[in-house]
Amino acid sequence: MLQLLSSIYKELLVLIRDRAGLAILFIMPLVLILIMTLIQDATFRTVKEVNISMILVNNDKDSLGEAISKGLYASEYFQIVEEIDGEKITSDMAKELVAKGDYKIGIIIPERATDAIRGNVNALINKSFKSFNIPGVKKRTKKSTVNVTIYIDPATSQSFKNMVLSSLKEFTSQLEIEMFFKNFSEAMAQMMPDQKPVKFESFETIKYQEVYASTTKDEMLPNSVQHNVPAWTMFAMFFIVLPLAGNIIKERDDGSAFRLKTMPGSFVTVMFSKIFVFLGVAFLQFILMLLVGVYIMPLMGLPQLEIGPHKIALGVMALASGLAATGYGVALGTIATTHEQAATFGAVSIIIFAALGGIWVPVYVMPHTIRIISQFSPLHWGLNGFYDIFLRGGDLVVVAAETAKLLIFFIFMLLIAIVYNNYTKTK
Amino acid sequence: MQENNHIIELKYLTKYYKGSGVPAIDNINLTINKGEIYGLLGPNGAGKTTTISILCGLFGPTSGNVFIDGMEYQHSADKIRNIIGVVPQEIALYPSLTARENLTFFGHMYGLKGKYLKNRIDECLKLFGLEKNANRRIKTFSGGMKRRINLIAGILHKPKIIFLDEPTVGVDVQSRSVILEHLRKINKEGTTIIYTSHHMEEAENFCSQVAIIDKGNILTEGKPKDLIARKPEYTDLESIFLHITGRALRDE
Repeated sequence: MLQLLSSIYKELLVLIRDRAGLAILFIMPLVLILIMTLIQDATFRTVKEVNISMILVNNDKDSLGEAISKGLYASEYFQIVEEIDGEKITSDMAKELVAKGDYKIGIIIPERATDAIRGNVNALINKSFKSFNIPGVKKRTKKSTVNVTIYIDPATSQSFKNMVLSSLKEFTSQLEIEMFFKNFSEAMAQMMPDQKPVKFESFETIKYQEVYASTTKDEMLPNSVQHNVPAWTMFAMFFIVLPLAGNIIKERDDGSAFRLKTMPGSFVTVMFSKIFVFLGVAFLQFILMLLVGVYIMPLMGLPQLEIGPHKIALGVMALASGLAATGYGVALGTIATTHEQAATFGAVSIIIFAALGGIWVPVYVMPHTIRIISQFSPLHWGLNGFYDIFLRGGDLVVVAAETAKLLIFFIFMLLIAIVYNNYTKTK
Repeated sequence: MQENNHIIELKYLTKYYKGSGVPAIDNINLTINKGEIYGLLGPNGAGKTTTISILCGLFGPTSGNVFIDGMEYQHSADKIRNIIGVVPQEIALYPSLTARENLTFFGHMYGLKGKYLKNRIDECLKLFGLEKNANRRIKTFSGGMKRRINLIAGILHKPKIIFLDEPTVGVDVQSRSVILEHLRKINKEGTTIIYTSHHMEEAENFCSQVAIIDKGNILTEGKPKDLIARKPEYTDLESIFLHITGRALRDE
């Protein structure tokens, strides 16, 4: 016990006296989490909250143009621009402005577009009442097509493009229904002049109620901070692997490891002291990153991080993630022979683990094979656990499986280090 | 039963490194008595470091046995580690820690604690003229001061056997003199010293017994004076060393 305590104290002294290293260890993850959350926040808002400027050239001046214009103006997603410096934007100007990247999308509604729809509606009514000779209804049966041109910036995301197209289709189909009903009522009124004409009333029969599934009574709304803080915290915590592996290699390079191996204290005692100290650092990093999410991010215009009611589960997940990271660092430091090997392999492997873990792209959109491989990424387990807590209101029971996987990973890494250390004794 | 005076015994010790067809040490038999200052001398690649590493328990031999005070590493590793002290050639200390912090840590690793450890550190620092520098960080020390602390870290727990790998390399005459003087003193108190060096004059004066090894074999063994006496055409240990091991340059 004395050996372990003394070894922990020595590790703490070594760590504290490396002021630059200590600053990097704590400041860099905070910078990382702030920058990544700010960047990812913009992407997150593209679909939810960001007001994107869009050009509208309405050459129709009739019902379709009005419906689209009204719909777009009413939408919270778009900021509609129809003129610049008092000058009406033309179709050619719109194309040029989108091509330059000044606007993401330009919508051009052609002249007489409403007439074309109206004609098609009448044709349909004619077809339905062809046996009745209704005087007011034109004998037109030929269908015509309207081309609403949409100029799209090539850099526009697919999801945003899809959202614009579906909005336009919704506005158009609603207009078609309204027009059809109106003309149909008029035709019926001509057939039965005694009946009072029915006025068209739009009524939303099916309403869509969004409820975020959560096991807690207090609903935690998903936002960029709720998504990004756990993801980047997990990523930053795993970077503890690099200083830890570096610490082990340095001790070996400067001969201290040689001396320690000739002393009664075992390899495991020395490694446990390192794990204890670096686990403490990882946990402290975690707390600081949470505090940044709760107190600093709102000052930067980001949503506030909601920690949720299950703080013990959060602490357990943080410790399990920290143990997985330190275990990986011990294995890497034991096996790598140089700082360069450890730094390169360590950094690249963490990025791979992070990519597989769904830090950048959600796992559910990955190809099937990658989805299977991602199940073996400790960052995936950690991230899932944090999402359970931060987004789904999960408690200790909910995150038990992820915690167990992280702890098994830690034990497995330690065993690798011990076996490799023993193997080198037989070399 | 007659008491055995042997503190180290190597029996048919052979070591092949993995992937090498040439033995680093080849069927060595060696006995070192208690209280000796035993010099393992040899050119680079002779097998000195391999022998010392096996004696310190860093790794095992391919075949053969090592007995340290009658014990073997396979059965009594921690007991052996408690009675040996190792002073590596590298300055195996933590540069950002002070001399006292380094020595306290290594003392704790040997199970020393409390007032005894503090007094022992003070005693050693005074012995090697470093008492005024106890609270300075190692990285601010001169080469000679670092080497003295490096030595203290290996003798703090009063081991029965000390392994010294080139303890005076790269130090000034004053530091060398202090180091050797105190090692003799420790030896007189009963500690056995196993010592490697390339410095033949130092080995001749310092060691009570030497073995010259090369290519994994012990070429000759005995008291330095006896070795010189056996070859009247040579006047010192260095001449005999060059005669036995040859003048060809060696790589590591």
